[in-house]
Amino acid sequence: MSELESQLRQLAAEVEWPSTPPLGLTFEPRRGATRARVRPLWVVVVAALVALAVAFSVPAARSAILRVLHLGGVTVVRVDVLPPVQEQQLAADLGPAVDSQHAAAALGVPLRLPPLRGSAKLHLRDGVVSVLLATPQPLLLSEFRSDVFLLKKLASSGTNVVSLDVGTAPGLWLGGAQHIVVFPATPPRLAGNVLIWQQGMVVYRLEGRRLTRRAALELAGKIMGT
Amino acid sequence: MLRAQRGDTRAFDALVEPHWQMAFRLAFLITRDAAEADDAAQEALLKAWRALARFRDTEPVRPWLLRIVANEARNRRRSAGRRGRLALRAGAVQVSGGAAPSPEELTVAEDEQRRVLAELEALPEQARMVLACRFLLDLSEAETAAALGLRPGTVKSRTARALERLRKAHV
Repeated sequence: MSELESQLRQLAAEVEWPSTPPLGLTFEPRRGATRARVRPLWVVVVAALVALAVAFSVPAARSAILRVLHLGGVTVVRVDVLPPVQEQQLAADLGPAVDSQHAAAALGVPLRLPPLRGSAKLHLRDGVVSVLLATPQPLLLSEFRSDVFLLKKLASSGTNVVSLDVGTAPGLWLGGAQHIVVFPATPPRLAGNVLIWQQGMVVYRLEGRRLTRRAALELAGKIMGT
Repeated sequence: MLRAQRGDTRAFDALVEPHWQMAFRLAFLITRDAAEADDAAQEALLKAWRALARFRDTEPVRPWLLRIVANEARNRRRSAGRRGRLALRAGAVQVSGGAAPSPEELTVAEDEQRRVLAELEALPEQARMVLACRFLLDLSEAETAAALGLRPGTVKSRTARALERLRKAHV
């Protein structure tokens, strides 16, 4: 072996490789066991049944479920083909306007918002508090309790689903191709890029068509005051 | 293998686990983005799982898995301008020999390694990838051929040409 080949082999141990993600072809979170929240068995079973029901609720979309990811109150179901659903405005079906006291009562904790110039118009529907943030591009911030219901998402292989940390909270980034979001009591709709994280019992969700991962993480930091 | 083919995901994990780091690093070499590599490796894992019924258990697992991972990573690769570059770990370079190296020796050795890495990174993609597979991932010619979609003979000749090219750059 030449000196150059030896040097190349030495490089293998000295290259700064990114840390290898955990392996697991399972219906479990990909995060380490220490981060995983222990869920009662009935919750897991119900979530799986709901995910199956959602995935197969549209007859034209008998799409194979490839993988199910859970993050607290959020279930992401990987499918090979998305069912056909309608695209809607971010402001659609947010529910009636409420004041911050009503919003806090629904969440059980005070609502978290980024620093705003004016007052925010809050909406409440079925336990989900929503506010449309007027950044250069419209963004929807939603907050809800993870023990009230499970948010469902259907993602095809065109959507990148990445586990990440939002400050100290576990989160998921869904970017790339649009995915389907299923809020309770509203029809499934197509969703753009989304950052989701859970702090305590509350799930936070930022959605924007042109939202980048970096911008979402920065805004999440402002929302959480970190 | 039989248990994995019958649907036992734990058996499948056990089958893949020895090659998982290699598979992820191959995805990273192709995509040059840790998040993209993560996605590519995970999606490849699903495809491997779905293709397992067609896998012949007389074949080695690693080339089969690497081929699937590499295909997925190539499909997800971003434009060339956005790719990251390989870097050395801080303080990673060791000097051979029994005695503890002086700071000067370490600096010289580290500079030399950085130079080799920079020269490797500057090679055209075909040459860079074949050398990265053979030397950074320590894949055999057959495994490199599977990962890059080449014939073993092509890997051999391409490796020789890439080494020669790197040698000239290193003079």
